[in-house]
Amino acid sequence: MHLKYTHILFFGLILLSSFTLIKQSETALDIKLLTAQTEFKVGSDIELKFSVSQNAKPLLYCSNSYGSTVIDPIIENNVVKYKIPPNINSKIGIVNWKLIKNNSTMLSGQFHLNPKQEVATMETYIGPPSIEAGGIDFTMLVVIPTDSLDNPLAENTLVTAKHQFLSTEDNEAIFTKNLISYKNIYSQKESGRMLVSSESLTVNSKEFTVTVFPAIPADFTVLAKRPHDYADGNQITIFETSIIKDKQGNIVIDGTYVNFFVTNEKGNVLKTSGTTINGTAIAKMIHPDYETKWTIKAYVEGMAESNTIAIDYKKVIHDFEVDFSKNNRAITIGPLQSFMKQMIPDGLQVKLLVYKNDKLIEALSKTTIDGYVLFNLKSDLFKNDKYNIVIKTAGIEKKYNSKALW
Amino acid sequence: MKETSNKYLISAILLGLAFHGTSIFFTLETTYDALIHLFFADHYANSWFEPWNYKWYTGFTVMSYPPLVHQSIAIFSMIGGLKFGLFSVALISIVLFITGVYRFSLLITGHKTAAGYAALLAVFSSSFVETLHVFGQLPSIVGISILMHALPEIYLWLKTGKHWYLMTSLSLIAVTVTSHHVTPIFGMVFFIFPLIGMVIMDVSKEQVETIKAITFKLFLNSFFKLFKRIVSFGLLSLIIIIGCILPYWINSKNNPITQVPIPHGSRDNFLEITSSGLVFFLIPWGILLVLLPYIFYRYYSKRYLFFGLSITILTILGTGGTTPIPRKVLGETAFNILTLDRFTLWASIMSLPILGEFAYRFVQGDLKTLIQSKFGAIYHRIIGGILAGLFVFMTIFTMSLGYFRPSQPQKIKMLPIVNFLNQDDHDKWRFLTLGFGDQMAWLSSQTNAMTVDGNYHSARRLPELTTRPIERLENSKFKGVAGIGSLQQFLTTPEKYNLKYIFSNDKFYDPILYFCGWQRLRQLENGIMVWERLNIPPISSILPKDDVSKWQKILWGIVPLITVLLAFMLNIQALWIKALQTKLKKQPVFLSYKSNYSKFSNTILKTTHAWSIILAISVFYGIYQFYIKNDSQRSPENTLVAYYDALDFKAFETAYNLIDPESNISIAQYMLEVSVTDGLLSSYAKLDAIKTEITNKNDSLATAKVITNWITPLEKINRVDYKSLAKHRGKWYILPEDLDTDLPPDQLYSNNTTSYFNQGRRRITTEQTHHEDVLKQPVLEVLSAKLVKYNKHYAIIGEVQNIDNVPADVFLKGTLYNDNNKELATYNAKYHVKHKLMPKETSSFKINFEGIAWSKTKDSIPKTFNPDEFTPIEFEEQPTKFNIQAAGNVSGSDLYKNIVLSNIEINNKTINGSLFNSGIQEITVPQLLLTYYDENKTMVWVDHLFIKNGIRQQRKQDFEYTFLENDTLKIITDNMENVFVNGLPNKDISNKTVPNRIKNHTNSELQKISNPNFSYIKIETNSYIGNPN
Repeated sequence: MHLKYTHILFFGLILLSSFTLIKQSETALDIKLLTAQTEFKVGSDIELKFSVSQNAKPLLYCSNSYGSTVIDPIIENNVVKYKIPPNINSKIGIVNWKLIKNNSTMLSGQFHLNPKQEVATMETYIGPPSIEAGGIDFTMLVVIPTDSLDNPLAENTLVTAKHQFLSTEDNEAIFTKNLISYKNIYSQKESGRMLVSSESLTVNSKEFTVTVFPAIPADFTVLAKRPHDYADGNQITIFETSIIKDKQGNIVIDGTYVNFFVTNEKGNVLKTSGTTINGTAIAKMIHPDYETKWTIKAYVEGMAESNTIAIDYKKVIHDFEVDFSKNNRAITIGPLQSFMKQMIPDGLQVKLLVYKNDKLIEALSKTTIDGYVLFNLKSDLFKNDKYNIVIKTAGIEKKYNSKALW
Repeated sequence: MKETSNKYLISAILLGLAFHGTSIFFTLETTYDALIHLFFADHYANSWFEPWNYKWYTGFTVMSYPPLVHQSIAIFSMIGGLKFGLFSVALISIVLFITGVYRFSLLITGHKTAAGYAALLAVFSSSFVETLHVFGQLPSIVGISILMHALPEIYLWLKTGKHWYLMTSLSLIAVTVTSHHVTPIFGMVFFIFPLIGMVIMDVSKEQVETIKAITFKLFLNSFFKLFKRIVSFGLLSLIIIIGCILPYWINSKNNPITQVPIPHGSRDNFLEITSSGLVFFLIPWGILLVLLPYIFYRYYSKRYLFFGLSITILTILGTGGTTPIPRKVLGETAFNILTLDRFTLWASIMSLPILGEFAYRFVQGDLKTLIQSKFGAIYHRIIGGILAGLFVFMTIFTMSLGYFRPSQPQKIKMLPIVNFLNQDDHDKWRFLTLGFGDQMAWLSSQTNAMTVDGNYHSARRLPELTTRPIERLENSKFKGVAGIGSLQQFLTTPEKYNLKYIFSNDKFYDPILYFCGWQRLRQLENGIMVWERLNIPPISSILPKDDVSKWQKILWGIVPLITVLLAFMLNIQALWIKALQTKLKKQPVFLSYKSNYSKFSNTILKTTHAWSIILAISVFYGIYQFYIKNDSQRSPENTLVAYYDALDFKAFETAYNLIDPESNISIAQYMLEVSVTDGLLSSYAKLDAIKTEITNKNDSLATAKVITNWITPLEKINRVDYKSLAKHRGKWYILPEDLDTDLPPDQLYSNNTTSYFNQGRRRITTEQTHHEDVLKQPVLEVLSAKLVKYNKHYAIIGEVQNIDNVPADVFLKGTLYNDNNKELATYNAKYHVKHKLMPKETSSFKINFEGIAWSKTKDSIPKTFNPDEFTPIEFEEQPTKFNIQAAGNVSGSDLYKNIVLSNIEINNKTINGSLFNSGIQEITVPQLLLTYYDENKTMVWVDHLFIKNGIRQQRKQDFEYTFLENDTLKIITDNMENVFVNGLPNKDISNKTVPNRIKNHTNSELQKISNPNFSYIKIETNSYIGNPN
């Protein structure tokens, strides 16, 4: 009996196992990758072939760094083929694939796409487009030689970086690494224009320009030019700097702003400015209309300064006449004469200050015509009374105390 | 009885179409509103179901205005463009109005000839002419016209109780509400309620002999009899008013108008501001004013009693601020939101039937008989002539209003602007127009580009706009200084709104643009100057919007046109069908209430005569007053005011004619003297107020003190001039002023400058700019920066230098933080920096932190606002840290530096000095930047001064600056850790480019001053060149 049970159990197990076998043969698909190659050239026709034991149609899911897609199979006698589409096979790098059936992965793997060793374009960047002379500042050239499918070339591809500056022309071999090749181009002592290009596998890039600007200016000198040294308030004095250069001797860039400070005898600071052309900045200042001494110093703020020069302006008017008429309300001042006894050019300012009990009531200001100035003290502003009148012009002051107006 | 066609009505329609149909082509586009409706129409033409519009106000919803008229224009625009649509709808509205008046008049008078007269007169009525040809309020016209069409239907429903009439009246109410929301609401009160009263009267009259026999009890009985019909009509029309434009009401509820009221002429006191009185009272009433006694007499007769009450209220409300009643009746809020001119419009339209009746009685009725029997036939003709003359005069006068007093600038050719915006992705930024008037709406409808401004102020959303009593930024100069203040904020922080381009049609704004850091790009072929601001990011491609649910969009998109179709089918279609039936048509019941015009009341004739005399006297008195006030040489005051007005409007010949002829100045000389003075005051100022005080006067001479306030784009200028006048042959003349006689030394001189040109894209391509064509941002260095508290407000001051080799446009943005690094405020440098720096040039700067002016204290808007003042932002917490983002961009424009500080004199309170122009351009607005230092030569404050007059080449210009006094100043921090230039830390840049900087290099050249708070001062100069050559 014992034996009988053992037999039954034995046959039963066999029966059971045969069921599982049958089940297995129903579900499991025997798929094998037939394509042995795992390295392809980018852009080439790639077909992945699989042998399939049954008439099944799994989908091939494949993805690269740009995206993913699903490919339908082509079936020929138990061999399924998958043609990799152009959007996958035209980018270099790893392509991962999976065979998928009924939401489960049957088989997976990967292959590599390698760049073509040919250059179609030289993707080139350079920046900054302007640098400073002196050997410290640099611009960075980045070259990415790419194939016809816009893929960077393989690692360690030779790229020749070329640049011309003044009389030197330089070639330097650099190699691509992590898809790109780059070179830092340092400025030299001179300013100027640098032309840069690159070459790889006999293909040349276009020309790029980098401007090498002069460095910050160094100290300079200043001088003054003027038609005469009289304080006539009419002519123009020109301040001119020497040619301003940086410490390497490059002339600073046109348009460099130079501030000229003019301190007069009263300690008042006047100001004019100029921008350089060929290194020289010119600033203009109208002559003072009174005797004074000017001290001039020019600055490029925070960077450079000039020497200090001093110039004197001589008095042109030593005295003038004042005539009161029409109830003292009409005040004629003049003739105001310049250094050769000529009438002072029109436009000299004459100030008339009217005080009442040391309190300034009104300050009137007029300019000369043909050497004369006429003030009218209107009766509505100045009631009939006594006033102190002060006349100022060309640095001279005249006082008339207790002038009665009526 | 076979119905004959009404020849008056037909001629009215033909005349109306011929007269208005031709003239709209010359008037409509220059009206206030027409182009706004065109813009809305353009919106519907492009996106019918999407109510959100991005083009204005950084986005708004068109659900803020009933859509029917706009949608109709949009539909017509599919055939022949937007303007075709506009004119088509205008033509339709003309026909609707004339027929509407006819039907309304027929309802009121019950007399076909009288109604025909009314239609004929309505064609030329000044209120209609004004609404169409001056205001361009198409939706308003369509609304009131349809309402008039609805009135007979309502009457018939109430009277007969036939459901057909209920349907027709409701369908017309629906059209009214979808074209204009205010009309049915107020129309309910002012037109339909009186109409109900009239129906009840008529019903009551049927029960008694004469209308006089109607008692209150009877009236009440009739009312209860009709109660059901009244209530059903009322409820149903309420449902329609709400339902048809439900999204509008939802939107109004969600976005209530919380704006500062915008002043409107219809709220003025018409006696004080006579121009408003003319436009909003005299013109709409026109000839009706003469007939007021008759109109009131007729409307207060028992049948029309309720119309009498209604027209009385309308008349009073229409008087605006002249009497205090409208303000009290409407309440402060409604008074400030509503434009009261519509009440006058309605009153005048309500009067039209009576006008028609009067005309009928005057021309061929009992009035003619009465006058002829009393005064003779000649008198009748003369009176007729006078009335007709007045009527035609008012029509012509109203039509010509837009011609003599144009409300708009000259028509601008938009094509160059549209082309500019389409070029080079210019429409990826927002733009702003200045001095375009309502034509900005036309520009907006032609381009996809967006503007920060807009022309429908109820839809404004930005608090910068809603807190100001201004309609548009575009015409801010007319909104006094509140407008300019608002504009300034947009100009100073344009990056907030992605505002990069400004199209300026008004040179007035040029200085403010320049000093806010804008630069001229070029002049388009239509004369519009394009200004641009550098360093503005483009608009992001996804913009926020307030979305509404789909059912609202669908309802909004289809209901308005359905109402039109329904109304058409019910009213016109049905008429056709009826007409085709040979059955005899029944007369509408209201025709049986015809009054028989047999005996014109003698009293009324007398009253009208007396009233006309009173009117004539007041008109002549008004004209006389006007003459006295405006006779420019009658008194010294008049002469001075006329002179300054002439200068303000640049009418130099007029000004010259006021100059004493005995001074022997030729007009050529005078013109020369005037033309050589350029500057803020002479070229960019608008006279705001003038006060003259005659200080001394005898028979032939006078002296006067003239105190003038001028508004310039930059600041308010107060000036006191002393002028002398002389009298010759009974006329006062102004004695000429002395001239500056300064002679420049050189006849011809040269000046070498470095000029720059940026190619932009070197390749002609629509692609993105090639990377090698992108210029490097110039490197700036912030030399010093500190946060200071000055009196009550905070500012960042400091100094910035362009350390690059190319000229730079400087953009400085400051942000304040508290101890917990919470951002408190951010703003840009406005006037207190030289925005354009040459290589190695420095500039002091100050960043003020402006709040949105008056956002907190709505009611305390200063009456006179100074553009130079600003509202300091209110901080809830103490700012203790700051951040500066400086950005440089290459700029080759506005680099004029030839302005020389040629002399100064200093006393305790002021600096007097003169500036000298050493270059070859005329300086229009010189500016001084004054930096204050303490005794340790530490920078503590920056101030500025605009000099009122320009400086011609090789000339001097004096200035006076008063030192700041009695101020408290505290430096909060001078930690420059968070200063960045072009996104990089300032310190790194400084170390790299200028490693051995001479710190405080020019400190030895600071000007010593004697002032309790400050010890030294530095003066920098900046200049705006108005007309570079």
